[in-house]
Amino acid sequence: MAEKNEDFEPNIVAFLCNWCSYAGADLAGTSRIQYPSNVRVIRVMCSGRVNPLFVMNALQQGADGVLISGCHPGDCHYMQGNYYARRRFNLMRNFLEYLGVEPARVRMSWVSASEGAKWKEVIEEVTNGVKEVGPMDQFKRRQLNW
Amino acid sequence: MVDVNKLRETAKEVISREDVRELIGYRPGTYGFRARPAFVMGPDEAGELIFTPACVNNLASYIVLEEKLPVKRGEEPDLRKVAVMVKGCDSRALVQQMEEKAYERDRILVLGIPCTGVVDMAKVEARFPNILELGEIALEGDRFVLSFNGTKEEVAKEELLADKCKRCRYPTPLVYDELLDSEVERFADDDYSDVEEMEKRAAEDKWAYWEEKFSRCIRCYSCRNVCPMCYCEDCVLDRLQPQWMRRSVDISENTAYHISRAYHLAGRCIQCGECQRVCPVDIPLMELNRKFYKDVEELYDYEPGTNVENPPLLSTFKVEDREDFIM
Repeated sequence: MAEKNEDFEPNIVAFLCNWCSYAGADLAGTSRIQYPSNVRVIRVMCSGRVNPLFVMNALQQGADGVLISGCHPGDCHYMQGNYYARRRFNLMRNFLEYLGVEPARVRMSWVSASEGAKWKEVIEEVTNGVKEVGPMDQFKRRQLNW
Repeated sequence: MVDVNKLRETAKEVISREDVRELIGYRPGTYGFRARPAFVMGPDEAGELIFTPACVNNLASYIVLEEKLPVKRGEEPDLRKVAVMVKGCDSRALVQQMEEKAYERDRILVLGIPCTGVVDMAKVEARFPNILELGEIALEGDRFVLSFNGTKEEVAKEELLADKCKRCRYPTPLVYDELLDSEVERFADDDYSDVEEMEKRAAEDKWAYWEEKFSRCIRCYSCRNVCPMCYCEDCVLDRLQPQWMRRSVDISENTAYHISRAYHLAGRCIQCGECQRVCPVDIPLMELNRKFYKDVEELYDYEPGTNVENPPLLSTFKVEDREDFIM
């Protein structure tokens, strides 16, 4: 896509489940772990709450990448929400790749409440991946300048 | 081929039954080779029903599209059956609708038509343009015989056959109460070669391809309206709160529309090809649906519309589902 720009700082929207990943990110914060500040966190009650259209909508509204993070399989607070999420996002990811949206933009991870260090690694990987592919310019909403 | 006399007799018998309200079938169109849907309300109307390779419509859509008006106080709801003529592909729409509990099996009466393939009207019209008189298409062996204006033309089956029929896995209806002809052996299979070819392209190429296709969309929503699986009373596309996509026709909103439409058919699309047939600007919508169809089959070993007992794909899961894409 666009030429690689060293100064490019992507916007990444992360949907984190309340019980594991949000607590994991919180732990990273209270443990003073440094991680890229490109991520904007939206807390949802469960990764199964995340409608696949959220991903599409985030990309439309200016996100360069989207991350969905939930509890590890078997650890879901609601027993099975993350299993449903896994099916949905596997299909959504493959489909967006089919349309020409790089798979690095739509990522999913399992981060538990005790994995502050893993949260840092995940964010670094996602941010670097999105930096690699550049700004999202496929179907971003155009701002009208009257 | 279906014997038209037998078809009409069966239809007459069915519509005369006390517990049948209406019968949905096909009758000749007004010009060219077209056939159109017929809504038969009484035995005297059953005489004009036909089935030819020109009967392309998927009549399963009409069952779920019918508006359910509120019943007046003191009146009983009309619970009589709706009879419907279905080809192999259309019967899968019925199966999928019943799988999703759209209605009970005893609400419909299915007249199954073992189908040897229908034509693609676009191909017919490209070959025989501007025919204003009513013509007829019949399949004889491996050739379509088109009679119009007192002449007869023979065309090889391959040339006019609809693309969906070239990869049809279920020519005989999977669900029926009465079969109007003897069963047809499967004559084709699906190898997903078109989807695989698209998958191999680079991201820029893919997007360039789809950007051109999506930018043509005029958002007439024909593809949604004709789809037998799109029967939500409150469609996400019509909602204003939250408004998932704006009504403006530009590449961003068009892409959002096509992503939503295709995603809502993930694990539900039964490959009847109606969306692509009705598209006024020739967007290859089936290529989107087929990507999901292929993924669903490969990842979850699930084929929509084949078994009423199956639970819908995205409302179930297996613990051992693939998760190699997860960090």
